[in-house]
Amino acid sequence: MSVLPAILRRLGALAVGVVLTAAVHAQGNLEIDTPAISALKQSMQKRHAQLAPLYAAGAVGLAADGTVALRDAAGVPLAQRAQVTSMIAAENADRAALYREIARANNHPEWEGDVRRTFAQRWVDRAQPGWWVQQGGKWVQK
Amino acid sequence: MLALLALPVGQPSAAAVDRLSLKVADVANPAFTLHDIRVVFDAGSATGEISVARARVGGRVLRDVRLRCARAALSFDGFSCHGADLRLAGRRVSAALDFELDRRSGAARLAAGFGQGGRMELDVDGGGRLLARMVELPADAVHALLSPWSPPVARAMRDFKAQGRASGELEWSGAGARSSRLSARLRIADAGFGTADGLQAGERIAIELAVDARQARDGWHWQAGIEWKEGAAYLHPLYLEAGAKLGASGRLDGRRVRVDEAALEVEGVRRLRATASADLDALDEATLSVDVDGADLALIGPRWIAPLLAPASTERLRFAGHVSGALQLRAGRLQAAEARFEDAGFSLAGAAAGAGFAFGPIAGRASWVQGERGRARLEVGGGRWEKLALGGFALDAELMDDGARLARTTVPVLDGALVLEDLALSRGPAGWEGSGSVVIEPVSMPALTAALDLPPMAGVLSASLPELRVSPGEIALDGALVISVFDGYLRATGLRLREPFGVASHLSGDIEARHIDLAQLTETFSFGNITGFVDADVRGLELARWRPVAFDARIVSSPGDYRRRISQRAVENISALGGAGAVAAIQRSLLRLFETFGYRELGLHCRLAGGVCVMDGIEGGERADGGFVIVRGGGVPALDVIGYNRRVDWDELVERLQRVVAENVSPELR
Repeated sequence: MSVLPAILRRLGALAVGVVLTAAVHAQGNLEIDTPAISALKQSMQKRHAQLAPLYAAGAVGLAADGTVALRDAAGVPLAQRAQVTSMIAAENADRAALYREIARANNHPEWEGDVRRTFAQRWVDRAQPGWWVQQGGKWVQK
Repeated sequence: MLALLALPVGQPSAAAVDRLSLKVADVANPAFTLHDIRVVFDAGSATGEISVARARVGGRVLRDVRLRCARAALSFDGFSCHGADLRLAGRRVSAALDFELDRRSGAARLAAGFGQGGRMELDVDGGGRLLARMVELPADAVHALLSPWSPPVARAMRDFKAQGRASGELEWSGAGARSSRLSARLRIADAGFGTADGLQAGERIAIELAVDARQARDGWHWQAGIEWKEGAAYLHPLYLEAGAKLGASGRLDGRRVRVDEAALEVEGVRRLRATASADLDALDEATLSVDVDGADLALIGPRWIAPLLAPASTERLRFAGHVSGALQLRAGRLQAAEARFEDAGFSLAGAAAGAGFAFGPIAGRASWVQGERGRARLEVGGGRWEKLALGGFALDAELMDDGARLARTTVPVLDGALVLEDLALSRGPAGWEGSGSVVIEPVSMPALTAALDLPPMAGVLSASLPELRVSPGEIALDGALVISVFDGYLRATGLRLREPFGVASHLSGDIEARHIDLAQLTETFSFGNITGFVDADVRGLELARWRPVAFDARIVSSPGDYRRRISQRAVENISALGGAGAVAAIQRSLLRLFETFGYRELGLHCRLAGGVCVMDGIEGGERADGGFVIVRGGGVPALDVIGYNRRVDWDELVERLQRVVAENVSPELR
């Protein structure tokens, strides 16, 4: 448990905070900041500057499965919709890799699902007011 | 044929002479048929009403059609109705109508002005020719006109929030049912559409449409030309811009429409032909066959292929060459596909850094049929993986609905080869999964080191990795990769390539090295000179972008009886790697007196994590002053190399090593 705040501080560098599940952190002594995780965080942080206005506009929302989703493409200029779609796919590839890497860094690759679920909840909890999040299969605005 | 006044007139109403009521059994025209028509004319108020109990318009039946005339006139010459409103089954149609009928010629004229602007005029002459003119007709009006003809199209217009204005002419001629002709020239401008989620949308679209059709014994034979002049559309995940032209011909038999031949001109494709078949009431269920000839992959790859197959990597994927082939779709789903590649090439740049990989030129064909086994036989001219050039090879694969099984594939690598056996891959919900085995047939180290810009090394690299497993985000290679080098060998096991195509790509494994000849090693890396042999064990080695980011490595002198000498320069280099104060002062003076020194053993332990190498020397070599022995002297003259810095910044250490190797200069001794 004691290692959790340190992990949180490190992951807090992400634009939207993250946390591990009780199931994950109960094991303690996790070396979570691997070079792979750091590379993914950097990549996601760089992309966040482009995604943030799309979250605010409601075009992209935070899905219940820990991914981001094109919620309302109508809010994106037509010529940019393909780019946004591609950016969302790249973000989701990074997110999937992040969940796997955190589980691996804990020497428990099978925790990927737990990590993903916890992250999904935290992305939703930390979403800024006005952003759209998926809850109970429906999109709601925070 | 219009026959209103030629038919027996119904009984005039007896209530008043200024009120006339007519009944007409039916009116037939190629475009429509009207049944049970009643015309009521009130001469006193000069108003009237025409009602039709049943109207058949293009295969659809409308009931209770009423035209109420604000100003009506009935004379021996005909009937006119102005400022009329139209009701269909009690619902008012938003249009101001004027209607005139000439009894002598049998000609009728209907003019409609729509609420949102736009006008439509309909002329029917006595010979059964119908001429429709549309001027800036709004989408709502087009929707209303289309509804009886094709409810699915009308429904789609509503669901897709179709906007825009249509202008043009439509001519329908031919009195007999077997000799009708239809000709239409339409221009659609300022058009747009969009689903609520924005995944299908179009903006500022201009289209020109020409249709010519004639009725024959077996239905309508038609020809059409469509030109997309302006605008853009997003059909998730594809972005399309104006410029395409379509020419098509086919038949319409009842509600069944057939496209016998369609030619689409689209940038990047030499020739694109299609046939299709659909029920007008269920266009979603349409079947479509497309033949593509000479598609330029450099153009269609980024526009069509990458967004569909690899949306996360669209910016890193490059295509070259040509593909031809065929696609068959039913109800929007791919049923069969065939592709023939010609001088094709694909490359995927590294996500973070590095050259990634590339293959080409590729020639051959691949075919796939839903629910059956397809086949791909490709001749790949060559390839590249990072700095490594790959030779030409043949790829023979069986294609299944969601996967592929490769026959034994031998990819030449320098003077050896990478052999893939029994490789089967399938696409699961989370990504690709599969298994197989890999053999690396011997690759000579001189060739490999030259190709990788490394100092030349003698030896051979080979591998037997019988357990290859692919899972989302990981390629596991169980077995061993062995490099015989420097008179000994390196054996890598437990190899795992993680997140192979993303920014976090990294390789991990364990390495066991035995009997490595230090004389060859130090000469290769210009590190001074050490004679003797070492064994090394590297546990949990992790490489990101080919640079070590974690490991626990221990190097020790190999057991056995052999000559053990270390040069002055090598001593200096080793001590420099240990950081400041690596050598005791008293020994420093000794160092300058001799060229080489005898040693009994050497040992180094480095545990790298978080960019820091935590160092240690020979096991049990800890000194009271906090130092650790890296080289224990022996013979004459002898000296110890002692390290004092237990925490060394890895990047700094690598930089120092590189400087030593590159500049071949003595590192600074402090």
